[in-house]
Amino acid sequence: MASTELETKAIPTLSKSITQVKINQFESCGIRERENIHNSPELAKQRLGTTYPIASGRMSVAFAAELLRKYFGPEVFHHSGVVNLKFLRPVKEGDAVTISGQYNSSAEVENGTLVTVDITCQNQNGDTTAIGQGSAVIN
Amino acid sequence: MTQQKLPELDYNKLEIGEELGTYEYVLTQEMIDEYRKSVDDPDGAFPTIAVKHDATALGLAYEDNTGGVNAGNEIELHNPPIAGKKIRVTGRIHDKYSRRDKPYLVIEATATDEDGRLIERMRTYQMKKPDEVGKKWHPQS
Repeated sequence: MASTELETKAIPTLSKSITQVKINQFESCGIRERENIHNSPELAKQRLGTTYPIASGRMSVAFAAELLRKYFGPEVFHHSGVVNLKFLRPVKEGDAVTISGQYNSSAEVENGTLVTVDITCQNQNGDTTAIGQGSAVIN
Repeated sequence: MTQQKLPELDYNKLEIGEELGTYEYVLTQEMIDEYRKSVDDPDGAFPTIAVKHDATALGLAYEDNTGGVNAGNEIELHNPPIAGKKIRVTGRIHDKYSRRDKPYLVIEATATDEDGRLIERMRTYQMKKPDEVGKKWHPQS
């Protein structure tokens, strides 16, 4: 796909329902079995002062990666994709997170055209939970 | 085999550029399946995001009794990992700085597979005063 086509291509919006089961599944992918602020209410209370565990910010990275893969295509995104997110508010069980993107810019680089997309994650209250950018290089 | 006691993480003693060591693991199909379920993405190709390579490197080098809150992530994707292949991860301290009187630690990990394919490079911005974040989310009156 040419980079000029991406300027006008619709960027999909994703909706993700957050459950503690999914948060725990995400944590179980790690190679170190341990309790943390994501899977232990006690540790979340001790370290954060919250009454609930919070989802790993990396779940939002995974959501953004899915959005960008669908926009750029896996053959492009899986070999040149970048996700850069800043986490602003916690995501927790019961939240519904909407991940959306907006075309930002294109720039010629050594091996093609770098296309950059602005990314926003919002919860069901309209609060922004994460913000950042993603990109990939189109040959 | 006795497990080696890790040194306790002391933020002030960490050095930018410090190597956190190298570790290996085998990425299983079960890990890929579990990752895809957890993020509701049947085509998710980088379950390594959930393995948290950089934080794992830090955790294998230091006993971190403070913990931290993930303030941000940067990830570069190069090649999707393949089930059954050994993944080799090298971690380092990329940066540390103070912002609004809060200490931040930036850790980085680079992952390759047993065939030498570069998989991903991940950086995490950890804020090392997690109780401050909790107060912000739940301000005490």
